[in-house]
Amino acid sequence: MARIHNFVPRKSIEADTLALIADYERKYGRTVTPPVPVEEILEAHLGLAYDFDDLPKLVNDPEALGGLWFRSREVKFDQSLDPTVFPSKLGRYRFTVAHETGHWELHRDMFLSSEGQVAMFEGEESPVICRSNDKSQLEWQADCFAGNLLMPKGMVYAQWEAMRGSREPYIAIGEIADLKARWGLGEDERPTVDVARQMAPVFQVSAQAMQIRLIELRLIRTRVPEPGLFP
Amino acid sequence: MAGNKKFGKRIRELREAKKTVDPTFSLRQFALKVGISATFLSKVENGEFDPPKAEHIIKMAELLEVDTDELLALANRTDPELEEIIKSEPRAMADLLRTARDRGLTAEDLERITRNMKRKS
Repeated sequence: MARIHNFVPRKSIEADTLALIADYERKYGRTVTPPVPVEEILEAHLGLAYDFDDLPKLVNDPEALGGLWFRSREVKFDQSLDPTVFPSKLGRYRFTVAHETGHWELHRDMFLSSEGQVAMFEGEESPVICRSNDKSQLEWQADCFAGNLLMPKGMVYAQWEAMRGSREPYIAIGEIADLKARWGLGEDERPTVDVARQMAPVFQVSAQAMQIRLIELRLIRTRVPEPGLFP
Repeated sequence: MAGNKKFGKRIRELREAKKTVDPTFSLRQFALKVGISATFLSKVENGEFDPPKAEHIIKMAELLEVDTDELLALANRTDPELEEIIKSEPRAMADLLRTARDRGLTAEDLERITRNMKRKS
């Protein structure tokens, strides 16, 4: 795979996800509510050939979870993520779908132009392969895209208010300390708090992904805020 | 698991056509409605796995709004209802089918007989 470096600001990624949802709504005359139909967006709206396969075997990479072939417009997910067989993988699977959508939306043009030059010499297309713990810049961008697509800010705020009666943040320091003590977790480990676990099924994401998004949106606070920062 | 490329290709074509107006004809949603796994459907559509059981093919035809017999024939499957019909009158039905075969009746002949029977009922 060709090495590509680019910088895409977080705000721009968020705007891209909202535009994508709006395009989907316009095209199919539907209003999107949680859970965001990420499979339908990638498969029906963006029109990629969509399959489950034994991906590690196919791409000779034991950690491969998702693979994207830009030129042939194909996306494949490892069969170990199939939630019709493994329902507990639903959140992980949907995050991988949203992550591949991020690569398609953010990196397609850049990759195709670069890949085109490589293809002149090699002929065969190399897919972008996504693993569970790959943290390159492109992977960070695709993760950021996935978080925003699965849990759009407006929908998260609305759900937070519906569940908690106001947009007031939750100071999670005490609960996190209790959970760490109970489970014997290390300093750098962060257990998922109750409110994230309650909200995760609404967005069909893992409790961990929900918590990361709630912290990003400052609805869960893991540090003591300065006095006067919020009413 | 020899696979059946013609059947798989036809199902994917039909599903793709539906998906242009209804996004819930996605691989997983369709598999859920049919009652099979998404991985299995994926491999059937790619011709890697044999078609599913007749009951699932009938459900596919219903959802895709196509003739059940067309899909069953492509899959080399028999409608389980036919088995029930033969079992209800085993001798008479078997005799009817064997006679039709021995007389060398063509598809057109059989269709004409069927039309006549429907008109009389």
